[in-house]
This record gives sequence, C-alpha cells and structure tokens, in this order.
Amino acid sequence: MAVERTSSLSGLTENEAKEFHSIFMTSFIIFTVIAIIAHILVWMWRPWLPGPKGYAALDGVMGAASHLISLVA
Amino acid sequence: MWRMWLLFDPRRTLIALFTFLFALALLIHFILLSTDRFNWLEGPGAHANAASQAAPNP
Repeated sequence: MAVERTSSLSGLTENEAKEFHSIFMTSFIIFTVIAIIAHILVWMWRPWLPGPKGYAALDGVMGAASHLISLVA
Repeated sequence: MWRMWLLFDPRRTLIALFTFLFALALLIHFILLSTDRFNWLEGPGAHANAASQAAPNP
C-alpha cells in the first residue's frame, strides 16, 4: 500500500508540486514576455539611458524638430 | 526546481508575489509620472511651462 507523503512543509505532495510548478512557470513566462514587449515599446518611445551628452544625443533630428514645432506653436 | 513548492505554500507565495509586484509597479509608475521626460500624461516641459507662466502673475 502506497502511503501518500504529506509530510512536506507546504503540505503539497510531489505530484501537486509538479502540477502547480508547471502552471506557475507558464504564467511566469507569459508575464515575462509581456514585460519584455512593454520595455521594448517604452524604449522606442523614450530611451531611459542617456548617452554621454545626455538625452539630446539620442533624440537626434526628430527631437530637435519636435522641439522647434513646440516653440513655434 | 518544482521542489520549492514542497517548501513554500503556493497560496502564501502567490499572495506575496502579487502584492510585491503590484507595489513595485505602482512605485515605478509614480516615479515615472514624477519625472519630466517620462510623464506620459502631461508630456515633457509641462511643469516648466506652468512655472514660467505662473511666475509673472503675483
């Protein structure tokens, strides 16, 4: 007779731990992929690591143009 | 790796993880809103313009 082990600290059996782990890892990977996509989009919007000359070196022509437009308008 | 769930209670772990992630997300979003460059609601220079416009009016 196989006695089911319930002596783990969390009260889970090994099969329950494996089952929960598969769900947890799937959710974790999905969350991580969404977070990576969000970071790529934010980096395309505005990079958060300035170059040695500050953010102006990264903005380039488009940044200067939008600044001029904002000054005129 | 799955043996960690023999040590940690999944229910408490999930509650702690979600609480931590929510607090971290809230903190990061408010920090970004407080900056000039990454404020996505008012845009860059909004605070500076408001200060310069408010200054001439005593």
